[in-house]
Amino acid sequence: MVNVAARSHIAATLVFAASVLLMVDKAPPWCLAIALAAAVWRLLVAAGRFNAPKVRSGARFAFGAVTAALVVAVALSFRTLNGLAAGSALLLVMGALKLLEARSRRDDGIVVGVALFLLLAATLATQSLVSVPFYLLVVWGSCAAIAIIADRGGGLSPRAALRLSARALAMAIPLTVACFLFFPRFSGQFWSLQRGGQGTTGLSDQMSPGSIGKLAIEYDPAFRVRFDGDMPPRAALYFRGPVLNDFDGFTWRRDRSKYYTGPQLVMSGEPVRYRVTLEPTNQPWLFSLDTLAQVPRPDMFMAPHDRQLSASEPVTSTTSYDAVSYLATRTVTSLSNLGRRHETTLSLERNPRARALAMQLRAQSASDADFARVVLAWFRDNGLEYTLEPGVTSIDSVDTTLFDSKRGFCGHFASAYAMMMRAAGVPARVVTGYFGGEWNPVGGYLIVRQSDAHAWTEVWLEGKGWTRIDPTAVIAPERLELGIFDLLPESLPATSSFLHNNAFVFHLEQIWDGANQWWQERVLEFNTRSQLDLLRKFGIDSPDWHHLGWAFAAGLVMWILWVSLTLRRGVARVKPDRIGRAWLRATRKLARVAPARAAAEGPMAYARRVGEHRPDLAERIVALASLYATLRFGRDASHQDIVALEREVRNLAV
Amino acid sequence: MSVPRDTGKSLPNGTTGPTSQQGQTPIRPGTIKERLRHRMARWARRRQGEDQLPITITPRRVYILPTRAGLAFAALTFVMLLAGLNYANSIALLLTFLLAGFGMIAMHLTHRNLVGVNLRTVASIDAFVGEHGRLLLTLENAADTARLGLDCEVEGSPRAAVDVPARGSARADVSLSLQRRGRLTIDRIKLSTAFPFGMFRAWTYVHLHASLLAWPVPRGRRETPPETASGGSATSVHRVGDEEWAGLREFRSGDSPRQVAWGAYARGRGLLVKTYQSPAAHQRMFDLATVPGEVEQRLEQLSAWIVAAHARGDRYGLRLAGQSVSPDSGNEHRARCLNGLALHGTPDPW
Repeated sequence: MVNVAARSHIAATLVFAASVLLMVDKAPPWCLAIALAAAVWRLLVAAGRFNAPKVRSGARFAFGAVTAALVVAVALSFRTLNGLAAGSALLLVMGALKLLEARSRRDDGIVVGVALFLLLAATLATQSLVSVPFYLLVVWGSCAAIAIIADRGGGLSPRAALRLSARALAMAIPLTVACFLFFPRFSGQFWSLQRGGQGTTGLSDQMSPGSIGKLAIEYDPAFRVRFDGDMPPRAALYFRGPVLNDFDGFTWRRDRSKYYTGPQLVMSGEPVRYRVTLEPTNQPWLFSLDTLAQVPRPDMFMAPHDRQLSASEPVTSTTSYDAVSYLATRTVTSLSNLGRRHETTLSLERNPRARALAMQLRAQSASDADFARVVLAWFRDNGLEYTLEPGVTSIDSVDTTLFDSKRGFCGHFASAYAMMMRAAGVPARVVTGYFGGEWNPVGGYLIVRQSDAHAWTEVWLEGKGWTRIDPTAVIAPERLELGIFDLLPESLPATSSFLHNNAFVFHLEQIWDGANQWWQERVLEFNTRSQLDLLRKFGIDSPDWHHLGWAFAAGLVMWILWVSLTLRRGVARVKPDRIGRAWLRATRKLARVAPARAAAEGPMAYARRVGEHRPDLAERIVALASLYATLRFGRDASHQDIVALEREVRNLAV
Repeated sequence: MSVPRDTGKSLPNGTTGPTSQQGQTPIRPGTIKERLRHRMARWARRRQGEDQLPITITPRRVYILPTRAGLAFAALTFVMLLAGLNYANSIALLLTFLLAGFGMIAMHLTHRNLVGVNLRTVASIDAFVGEHGRLLLTLENAADTARLGLDCEVEGSPRAAVDVPARGSARADVSLSLQRRGRLTIDRIKLSTAFPFGMFRAWTYVHLHASLLAWPVPRGRRETPPETASGGSATSVHRVGDEEWAGLREFRSGDSPRQVAWGAYARGRGLLVKTYQSPAAHQRMFDLATVPGEVEQRLEQLSAWIVAAHARGDRYGLRLAGQSVSPDSGNEHRARCLNGLALHGTPDPW
């Protein structure tokens, strides 16, 4: 049997260990190891496996030294003590040290406090839906541990503590919801923590042969799109990403210095309004449907010459923006000379065969537009094969693709097509981005995966402006209808194929993704604006934070009322029945003539005592008391008896 | 408890001649905290009035404040709130609100744990100065759930924890160190609880007149006064010399197991005690006037004699200024005599 103090230690330690596990992917392994080792040691000591060492003054000194050493170690390993990662690591080692010296209940309470801080650190690092149950478990455990630590008598079993805290937390849920909806939020930041760097994902600002193919086998979502109204036709789902304007014969790059004033556009047709929720990429590139009408947010930026949308900072957390695009545009100005020069620059040494072919075809064509069509026809008719595994390439990558291997992925063909355009003096550029996507019927949104990464070209045609030409569409027209997973199933990793091709798993995955998206849009991105929108739904015309405050206060008051009523029901006082109430009334009357009935005084003894004070009433009072005693302690009292008693009490005049 | 003995009771002082001041609470200078406590106590008393047992704790008389742990929890929640707002982090905010709601529920649960408790009886057990007197409180719980962690205390006593089962009762044992001879009046009992989460403490005061007697310490080296034959005969449970067998009588509390007629008990006749009759009953009379010295020392000497005589099972009587207890034996008699010593010099009846 574990004693009460040991129970308190164990509860605190278990909660601490659980919160350490939350930090598994967020803190350096040595910190986790120290924290878990301390927890295990503490559990063994509490379970009586061995005795905690006696504290001597030397030990105190050594403890201080170890503390200092660990702080220095954390500072050295992160080069700072500021920042989320360093702060979490510091919390871990400090919590471990606290465990080593925890003796009193107060210490145990501090350990639980550290656990809750670790929980906070974990929430700041990860907000995914899948982590929420674990967070809730830690909260629940902490509350139960608080109860066990507070219980000095040992009358509260761990099971009862868990039940009690579950009930308390459940009753707190309405308040949580009300607070979440209406608690006024401050848009400004009080302070900021530095976040650690992560690797980049998704498309980058350069494209070599095969770089798109690498993305094509990744099943991770790149972003999700929710349309206001109907989704545009699938063939129009070109999401523009990094626009590449510089080619060295092998790699297309985005050269920021090649900057010029872009032509003016006139948007026509119906606008498409949609909201993009972008997964973190650690890169600034944002994606929008061709052609974006305006910059969605003030902290975003659109290059004027190629309408490339980017964020002012790399996207490190899930980001949403509302965008408006037009599927049809008209150019009203011509390309500037500087623009023409930038967009036709080509390395003259590389890819001689493709350049020669381009010159030859241009000479046979009447115009740039005609030339673009001819080259497209050449691509279609020369046995080019669309594949994820185009084989080895050379430094003259376009020549290899077009004449030697005759195999390529979208990136190869876009690269080759744009290069041939430029070789003939037609302004052209490569656009990388995503094409298509998969409709999630559960959530009602389009999910675009890394595997939907695509590359195409934009060619400047006089009178039409920048025109999207997708050479892949002539080589593998199916690509416009099917996703890459349906088109090239055997070239993909087994896990991704399984996820995609098993109907049941695919459905589950869609549901899960829908839940995640809901979480992202409705919970994680819930902000002051959403709060005000909500108030508008309640019929408040121009809500501001005063209304929020009132709504919050109203919710709070209602919740408190509900809680007090609910909790009072459990301890309802046992009310006396009719017999008891009648007797109570009688004693209240008699209290005027004699001292109140003592706790241990029976009704008859009391009646005789009162009788001594009022001999004139003595007989009547004793009769009343004996009637009461008969009804109270005798067999079942009939209704008439009770009425008689009540009448007697009523008629009793003192 | 480090709390100094408060002004709530006034004890007799042997040198100056004590006066009884029960019910009165003279104001003494003290620290601000003490004075504040004092004012609060008087306010609560005025507000609630005098209580009569049995008493059910109603919500109106229950006070509640956060404990240190509760304040720490609130601070932690506040930090989480700031972090959640700062980073517009919805999960941190959700968990913060959940914990804050939990804290408020904890307050209600603590409050509820005390409301509805019934204090049935208060019994006191007197003791010698320097020992611990006890107050036995019977608490009753009419609710369907057990009430754990109820703490009972009076001014100057440590908390006595008690768990009262659902629809049951339990007894709390409050021990109180006795430092001065006389009557220790207890004008209020504090019932409190921090159950279940220790983040709040709800408490209530029950104002009643309970008291404990502090008997003088049995101390003194004087010879026991000689036995006197009082004339007539008396039965005694002791056989000192020429007593004759006088039969069995009912066991009374205070009789020694050595005098029980175990044979009769084995035959199923109940607990009986062997008694003896001496031709001339021997008894001792302890008289304050016969002991020289200072009053407290003389009382202590009498106390020592009473304790010794009781242990031997002797018959003894007590004579104090103006009052006397005629010779007898047994626990009740001993208590009566010691009470007399405790209250000597006060107008208190005993």
